[in-house]
This record gives sequence, structure tokens and C-alpha cells, in this order.
Amino acid sequence: MKEPAIVFKDFSFRYKTQKTATLHDINLEIYPGQKVLILGASGSGKSTMCNCINGLIPFSIEGEITGSCRVAGHETKNSSIFKLSNSVGTVLQDSDAQFVGLTVGEDVAFIMENDMMARKDMLPKIDENLNMVGMKDFVDHVPFNLSGGQKQKVAIAGVFGNDVRILIFDEPLAALDPQMGMTAVDLIDDLSQDEDRTIIIVEHRLEDVLYRPVDRIILMADGTIAADVTPDELLKSDLLQQHGIREPLYITAMKYAGCSLEGNENLCDLNSLRFTEENERKLKAFFTADRAVKDETEREPVIRFTDVAYSYDGRQNVVEDISFEIGRGERIAVIGKNGAGKSTAAKLLTGIIRPGKGKIEVCGKDTADMTVKEIGEQVGYVMQDPNTMIVKDLIKDEVGLALSLRKMPQDQIDERVRQSLEACGLYKMRNWPVDSISYGQKKRVTVASMMALEPAILVLDEPTAGQDFRSYTEIMNFVNKLNRDYGTTILFITHDMHLAIENTDRAIVFSDGHVIDTNKVYTVLSNAETIRKASLKQTSLYLLAEKLGLDPEKTIESFIAYERTVKDA
Amino acid sequence: MNNRFVINYTPGPTPFHKLTGFTKVFLFLAMICAIMWTFDIRILIPLLLINCAEIVSMKPNYKPILIVFAITFVTVTLIGNVMLFAVSPEAGYNNVGAEHIIWQGSGSHYISKEFLWYIFVVFIKRTASFSSVMAFALSTTPSEFASGLNHCGLPYKVCTVVSLAYRTIPDIANDFVNIRNSMMMRGLELSGRKASVWKRLKNYVLLLIPLIFTAFGKVGNIANAMDLRGYGKNKKRTWYAEREPGKLDRIIRTLTVLLFAAVIYYVIRYRIIDPWPAKFWCPWLARDEVQHVNTLDTIKILQWFRNR
Repeated sequence: MKEPAIVFKDFSFRYKTQKTATLHDINLEIYPGQKVLILGASGSGKSTMCNCINGLIPFSIEGEITGSCRVAGHETKNSSIFKLSNSVGTVLQDSDAQFVGLTVGEDVAFIMENDMMARKDMLPKIDENLNMVGMKDFVDHVPFNLSGGQKQKVAIAGVFGNDVRILIFDEPLAALDPQMGMTAVDLIDDLSQDEDRTIIIVEHRLEDVLYRPVDRIILMADGTIAADVTPDELLKSDLLQQHGIREPLYITAMKYAGCSLEGNENLCDLNSLRFTEENERKLKAFFTADRAVKDETEREPVIRFTDVAYSYDGRQNVVEDISFEIGRGERIAVIGKNGAGKSTAAKLLTGIIRPGKGKIEVCGKDTADMTVKEIGEQVGYVMQDPNTMIVKDLIKDEVGLALSLRKMPQDQIDERVRQSLEACGLYKMRNWPVDSISYGQKKRVTVASMMALEPAILVLDEPTAGQDFRSYTEIMNFVNKLNRDYGTTILFITHDMHLAIENTDRAIVFSDGHVIDTNKVYTVLSNAETIRKASLKQTSLYLLAEKLGLDPEKTIESFIAYERTVKDA
Repeated sequence: MNNRFVINYTPGPTPFHKLTGFTKVFLFLAMICAIMWTFDIRILIPLLLINCAEIVSMKPNYKPILIVFAITFVTVTLIGNVMLFAVSPEAGYNNVGAEHIIWQGSGSHYISKEFLWYIFVVFIKRTASFSSVMAFALSTTPSEFASGLNHCGLPYKVCTVVSLAYRTIPDIANDFVNIRNSMMMRGLELSGRKASVWKRLKNYVLLLIPLIFTAFGKVGNIANAMDLRGYGKNKKRTWYAEREPGKLDRIIRTLTVLLFAAVIYYVIRYRIIDPWPAKFWCPWLARDEVQHVNTLDTIKILQWFRNR
């Protein structure tokens, strides 16, 4: 057996600013050539553990270490972050922030520049590193013109110093659309083929990571290791529910169908999975049962785009021939890859930009005659990062801001703020400072401040990006409640197909500035053509249907219909 | 994101673009010193021409350059000169040292040949510094700027701040636009028509809070990313952006050294040892025709020391 690459022994760590230890009693050995997934909800200590390996702890982030952590033969606390950076490469979650160079080449060169490598020695190495991630032709590109996936590839090329044997990926899928996410998982898998290389992936999107095999899964909970198992063992156990991790959709489907998880070969990989005969029979029976998603009655339209086109530079249209209708109370998933026109359409809807051609109506009124402020009373737009929206110190002031800007009398403001905060479950916190609440709660505050205007439509931009399953469920339950109780029309701009399946009725799919599909979610997700054009990913339900020889559309519809009855019960 | 205005992030194709960062920074510093220290049209005009030649050789997009030039220079100079004429027509006498009146208006308004000469030289001086800044900005990427400064002796940690600033400006601008849009939808008046200038200004201040918070969040991330890639490991570092100097680099570096030497010689010879009595050299004034010497002029002070 080879020397382990990473050894934690009775390891604990306490941040300087905190009273209790964030990590405690960690005992762990990771061997060269292993590909390890560290799984856990937010705050479980998984990122802290990574930072202990790459040396940010204790060298940039102060705190108290007890026990031992040896990485590539160095006891980290006696080493230095620079020594560790020779053997450990870390790809951070935010590949945009990680991009420090002004061109791709310069960014990859950064580690070599700091190592005082002569420029003529850098050039072939930069070439080699970029070639490895398939970005060789982009050496002179600037970061502003790269997609999230491309930036991440550059970030990977940029952490390869002299002798990097350990690669850490901190939430590599967080900022990517489904297809880019698959590419990233593929690339990480390619890198893991080198048997001297150790790969550590930190993620909570289990199903997406399992698209390629991993050797071990370490489940973190409350700063300790809750389980250290193979993927198959994990999926069979009930650890996922216990620790707030979303299980793969096909596993959910199997559970709905009453299948036993024991006895199936390769449970973690749907492609090579072999069901027991009994399970196959149960699944087929489940999916062919007569079940359909309730078709809603006619709804009056609240949004209508008629033949809309828009161009930023006056020459080339970024969106064209956009026509669709959304009914009151509908929940819509707006999907498509980055740059396909989703956010341009959202900006057009809110009146921030105005169509070069065509007509946009909101609640029956042409928006051309309305100011941004007036449209804002009908359409509430919630940005991805709540920190970019919050301007006041106290929660109630933040929620009442839009009303006081409209010069509403104070007693009416108080009443509306109370209603809105109650709807969002924040009324008890109304006098709290905004700084003191969690990210998920901030998100609710931003939604509450939109709800105060009693809009007919709520647009949520990537509402669940960077959230763990618990926080995701919380936000979704809350938004669905608004939809049910107040009839608010909800538009999700999202890459998350799980979200679309579970929480929306219909999808509007963008590709290259056009709307290519406006069908029911299950129809969209079973249309191979749409999936390819919009850079989506086939959900595991689709693959499951193919495996069982069933019609994907019916299968997904049946799943959704069953799930809604479970949830409503 | 449109970055095609003046900041280039990638080196351009012409020979002047391809000079190393150090050559360009060094040339720029020498130019600026030469322009700053002299009021002599015999030096300013050749420098202006050299800079214009550099700009032309880079085949830039002239439109934005001319727009900036028109706005900042032509208008400022025009307004400034009209004001100067109204308030202090004796500026020519004060700086050039004599007065030949060519037009006498009512009261204290008049125009002298020297006044026109004065505003002409000041215009040339401004234009020369503008062209020098432009030539530098057009030819140099922020990374070359940083590496050039480092080669001129500035600590590299200061220099990386320069290139990091350029790296983050477009991101921050982007954040700002997003924050502004979301606040406009909530009803904050930021565009004209409905709110007064003062009100709008106050509203813009409100936007700074989320902007600063998001920027701070980024700072922490960037610092970690840099630490993890060995930033600050050694006392020195090399630069990807600093190419190996070519033949043209050596020629221009030599010429720059000569320019620098010539300017220092000029300053010592014509402004200290045997100075022209007035601040501005003027072709039609002989030495003994200069009547007025600005008492606060450094030359005067230096002369005083010399005469002791």
C-alpha cells in the first residue's frame, strides 16, 4: 500500500472568532489515486476541512488546531501555505474571483510568476496545462468574454504548479449550467485517471457528481465525519435524508415505486445499474399506472410578449421573435444556457431595457406606457445574490423601502410590511438588523420586500444557487406557498432541472435568442432536440425510462403527478 | 462588456504595441518629465509629433480618442481662455515677460501678441501630455503597466494592485448596474425628469452600501485564491506580461535615455545656469526686451542664490 496522501489524526479546529470547534475528532486517510467526494449540508465543516488541507487554515484563516494533519508528508501546521501550494491545487467555488490574471495565459502563469520562473520556461508549461483542460486556443482571451465553464477550466489549469498531486474542487458545479456541469465532471474524471493524483470534490449536488464514478464518499455533519462509505452503500442507507442531502431522482422514483434498494448491481450509476426482476416489475407498474398532472383551467394572461426583439448595439438582435403568454398563478421555469436570452427577456419584462420591436403586456397593459417604477409594482424581481439588493439596516425598513419611496402613509406601510413579513415567516425578526441573519433568511427578506408591493408576478433569478438542500426546500416551500395563497405568478430563471420538475408547471426554453419551447416541463425534458439546443441535461428519470423501455414523457409526467399527490397530502 | 475604449487587455499587433512593458513605462515617464519641466515650444512640438507618430503607428480607433480630446481639451481650453481674457489679460505679460498690444477694447480688456503666444504654448503643452498619455494607454495592457513599474523599481505588491484594479473594474461596474436596476424597479428615482439632482445624488449613495458589501466579499476570495497560488512567496517575481526585449526595445530604450539626458541638460543649461529671464521662450522677444519676471518663479529664486 502506498503512503497516504492526506492523514487526519484526532484533528480538531476552532476558528479564532468562534467559541466551539468547527471540526472535531477527524480521523481520515486518503490515498494517492483516490477520487473522494466530501458531502454535507452548509455549515457541516466540509469547506473548513478543505482549507485545512490546502493550508489556508492556519496560514490565512486563524484558529486553533489540535491533533495532526499531514498532507503529502508535511505536517500542515509546521509547513507553510507556499510549501503546501506546491503539492495541493485548489479550485475555488467562485472561478470568477479566482481569475487574477488579465488574460487566460497570464492567469495560468500566476503560480509560476510567484515561483520566479523565467518567462521562456513558463510558455511551454502554460501550453501544456491549457492543453490538458482543452483551452489551448484561448490563451489570449480576457476573462470577461469567457463562460463560467471556461473560467473554471482556466482555474484548473492555473493551480498546476510544479508537483501538484492533490486537487481540491470546492463546489465545482455551483455556477455552471447543466451541460457545463457534466463537462466539468468529465474533466475531473479525466484528471483522476492519473494514479498518483488524489482528487477531492466538495459538493452537495450528489446526483450530478455521480455522473462519473467516485471511489469514496465522506459525509460530514456538524463538524465530524458521519460516514465514510462507497456510493452504493450511501444510496442504500438512509443517511441522505438524515443529513439533508438530496438523493438522485431515480432513487426517489424507486422509493415511490416501493422498490427495495438491496440487491441491485451498481446502484450509483444508472447506466450500468441492473435492477432485480422484482424492482423492474414494480417500476414499470408504477410508471404505467394511470396518473396525470392536473390540467389547470383557462387562466387569464398576466404576461404577454408579442414578437419582441432587442439589440444592445443596434445591429445584432440578442433576442428575436419572442412571443409567449403566461397565465395568472402559473409557475414557470425559464431555462436555457447562459447568454441564450433569459436575462435579456427578464430585463425587458421589468422595463430596464425596452424592446426594439414588438409589444410586452403586463396584466393587460402595454409596458411601453409605463415607467420602470410602475412596472415594478406588478413585477417583483429577486436577484440571485440577496446581498446585492439589501440597502437598509433593519429588516422592516428594508421591506418597507419600496413603499416609502412611493410616499405611502406610514400606517399603511406598517400594515403592508406586517402582512408581507408574516407571509414570509419573518415577522418576529422585523426589528433585527439584516447583518445578523443567514443567507437563506436574507433571500426571504428580499422576497418579502418585493411582496410588500403586492406584485402579480415574482421573478426569481437562480433562487437556489449555492444553497444546500435544506435551504433549497425552505425557499421553495415558501415560494410555493405565496403562489398558492396569493395567486402570485412565479417565474424561476434557473439551471436546476430538479427545481423545474418539482416546482413548476411549464417551461419557457431559450436558445440563441429565440424561444424554442413553451410546453409542460415533462414534455420539454423528454424532448431530446430541446435538451440539446438549450444545453440542458437529461434528468435521470429520462434515462430510467429508456432503460425500462418506457415513454420518457409519460414517465416524467407520472413521476411529477405522483410527487404532487405525496406533497399535497 | 465593452472594453474596446482605451484600455487594452491583450497586446495589439503593431511594433509599438509589442514593446515590453518596461520600455513603454520608461518612455512614458521620460516624456511626461520632459513635458512637465519645459515651457519651450522648441521641445514641446517635437515631443507632440513623436507621440502623434506613435499613436498613428498603432492604427487605433480614432473616434473615441477624438471625442475625449474634443471634450476635455478643446472645450476646456476654449472656456478657460475666454475666462482668462475676461479676468486677466495680463497673463501674457506675466508669463512671457513683455507686451505688444494688438487690440485694445474698453476698460481693461485687451489682447497682446504675448497673450496669444501664452495660450498657444499652454495648448501645445496640454496636447503633448494628452498625446503622451494616449500613446501609453493605447499601447500598454494593465499587466505590462504593472510589470513595467516593477522593472522601474516599484515593489511588486504595489504593481499587482494596479493590474488587479483593472481586473475588477468591469466586474464592479457590472455589479453596480445590477444593483441600480433592481433599485429602480423598487422605485428609487435615479434617472432625470422626476427627481432633482440632489435627490438623485442621495439615491445613488444608497446604492453604495450593497456595492461595497459585494466588493468586500470578492476581496476575501481573491486574497485566498492568490495565497493558494503562492503569491508573496518570494521577494521578487517574474512577469508573464514582460516579454523578452527585442531590437526595437533596445533602440527605444537608448533613445529614451538620450531624451532624458537632453531634458536634464536643457533644464540645467537654460533654466538654471543661464536662464531665459521669463517662464516662456518667445520667438520675437530678444533677451533684453523681457521686462517682467515672475517673482515666484523658481528661476528667480535660483538666480538669487547664484548671485550671492
